[in-house]
Order: sequence, then structure tokens, then C-alpha cells
Amino acid sequence: MGRLLWWLAAVALGLGSAWAVLRSVSHYGAAAGPWRASTLAGSPDADLYTRARVALGGLLALHREETMYFVATTDTAGRPLRARCSYHVTGVPPKARWWSVTAYADDLFLFPNEQRRYSVNGKTAALDAQGRFAFVSGPVAPAAPAALPWIPTPGEGGLYFTLRVYNPEAALSAAPGTLTAPVIELLGGCP
Amino acid sequence: MSRLSRHLLRRLLPWLLVAATVHLLAVWALPRVIMWRLSAMATPQERASVFLPPMTDHTQRRVVMPSPDLLYATCALDLAERPMRIRVDLRTPGYSSVALYAANSDNYFVLNDRQAGDAPVDLVLIGPKAYAQAPAIPPGARTVTAPSNKGLLLMRVLVADYGAQKDVVEAARRTLRCEPL
Repeated sequence: MGRLLWWLAAVALGLGSAWAVLRSVSHYGAAAGPWRASTLAGSPDADLYTRARVALGGLLALHREETMYFVATTDTAGRPLRARCSYHVTGVPPKARWWSVTAYADDLFLFPNEQRRYSVNGKTAALDAQGRFAFVSGPVAPAAPAALPWIPTPGEGGLYFTLRVYNPEAALSAAPGTLTAPVIELLGGCP
Repeated sequence: MSRLSRHLLRRLLPWLLVAATVHLLAVWALPRVIMWRLSAMATPQERASVFLPPMTDHTQRRVVMPSPDLLYATCALDLAERPMRIRVDLRTPGYSSVALYAANSDNYFVLNDRQAGDAPVDLVLIGPKAYAQAPAIPPGARTVTAPSNKGLLLMRVLVADYGAQKDVVEAARRTLRCEPL
């Protein structure tokens, strides 16, 4: 019995360490502000760990010449994103054919909401006079800033923002860290 | 080295070796298991033909991080016995693409609407091993060799406003054909 437990502990360590490494976002490629992108997502050149990490958190990704995926799990100040908090997200459209920012719950699926508002994208975002887009996420519609698109994020769990950049310009594809990172600011207090 | 150290080393080394092997096997197997599970979740009808899921919303729970701005179509790929012919028209008003994924989840091929140009796409997918009989490639078809027999095709069609664009984008994805050659 003791011998069996001894070997089961080795198996548990192997599985547990694999899970811990794969769930670690800190190894997830290039960083631009709070946004991180894997340069090898979807690529046949991906190493063992990248392939497994992408399968867990972004299955069926395209390779980076086609699409880049930037994921934010913290705001620009470095605080973990929470669904129950409201955030003001602003940025300039990435240099690409098309882009979108989508909010995901911590199970990596879309937040349920009757309004079916899940993302802001290159077609739907209104740009201001400086050419910047902006939107607000949070559990309730914001009182201010007025007239900004709102992505509802009901629940108490975590929050992920994914910035998809379709057919990025070659310079961005070659160096994802050069992305002009959208700013994610906590709006008001957060209980 | 003391006797105690040698004893510990003799016991610990195989233990660590087992832990490291399990670790590497788990990391290697995970994408394959997830892809297999995705295929297993499909109904026999979905596996036999092109699967056209509804426009993505929060009820879609099959693949993580679905894009709510894309309309998808999928085909299960099985190249073990014979090649498959893929035909699709990517002449869409916005971005569209067909992407091929291997059994280990690698994206080994993608073609978007701009790359496809002004003609329908005609692909012949060939498995990694030679067939008993050389396949007859239809004239004009492009040949793609897959790294694994099993896999998945995913078509993406950008949708800015599904209500307004429904006729166009639905017609686009319904041009997808995945048939044994």
C-alpha cells in the first residue's frame, strides 16, 4: 500500500506540475502593457508547452500572420480583472485588416447577457476625434462616460479581454510587443 | 557519498523520473485529447457533413474563447482511407477564411478571402501516408498534405451585423463542401 502511494505521489506531482505550468500566464509570449500574445499560437512550430497552453485557452487559434490574439488578465495598473468591477478601455485600432476586443468569463466562454453584447470591433466601434475607440465593461450599465458601448460582465469571477487582430501588418506580426496597447482602467471603486 | 545519500538517491531518482515522464506525457497528450473530445462531442450527422452552428453567443460552450463576430462552419477530416476534396467560395464582403487543424491542434494551413482571389477555392487534402492507389487530383485543385489523418476544418466568416447580413454570410458558409475524393 505504501509503495503504491509512493508511485501515485509521483504521478500526482507530474500531473499537478503540468497543470500549474500550463495555467501560468507569465510564460505567455510577448507583452504590450497588460496584453500578452503567444507568437507561436496555432503554429506547427509551437513547442510542447505552447501547443498545450493554446489548446486549453484558445483552441483552434490561427497562426500569427493570419491572426494575433492578445489576452489581458489585469488592468493597466496590474490589478487582476474582475467581472464585478467596471473598466474603461481605450485604444487606437491596431494596424490590421480587422480587430475586436471580446470579454470572457474565467471559464473562457462569453458572459451571458440578454443584450448579446460581447465585443467591440473594427466595424462597430465609434472612433473619437483622435481616432481612438473606447468602451466600458461591467456588471451594470455605466452612468458615465455616457454614450460608450457597454459589454455586460455579470458574475463574481474573473474576466479576460481578448484583442483579436486579423491580418496584422507585417511589423506587428513580427514584433507583437510593438502593439499600441489599449489602456484598461478601473472605473470607480470595486467592492 | 554516504550510504544514506546513496539510498535516498536510489529511491528518489526513479520517482522523479516517473514524475517527469508523467508531466511531459500530460503536456504532450492534452491538445490531442482536447481535439479528440471536440470530435467526440459532434453528432454522427455533424461528423458526416458540414456542421453549421448558429451565430456565436453565450450559449456556445463547445470551444473556449469563441468569437461573437464570426460565423463558423466546420468539417471533421478523416484522410486515412482516401483524400478529401474541399470546395468553398470565399468571395465574401468582409474577412473569411478556411483553416485546417491537425490532430494535435496545429493550424497547418489557412487561406483567407484575399488570398483566394476572385475564384472559388478547390483543395485536395492528402493524408501523411501514401495511399494504395494514387489519388486523381481534379484539374485546378490545389493539393495540401496534412500532418495527420484526423483533423478539423474551420471556416470563419466575419459578421458585422448578423440581422442585416444574414442572407449573404449564410450563403457564403453554405458553399463549403467537404467530400471524400
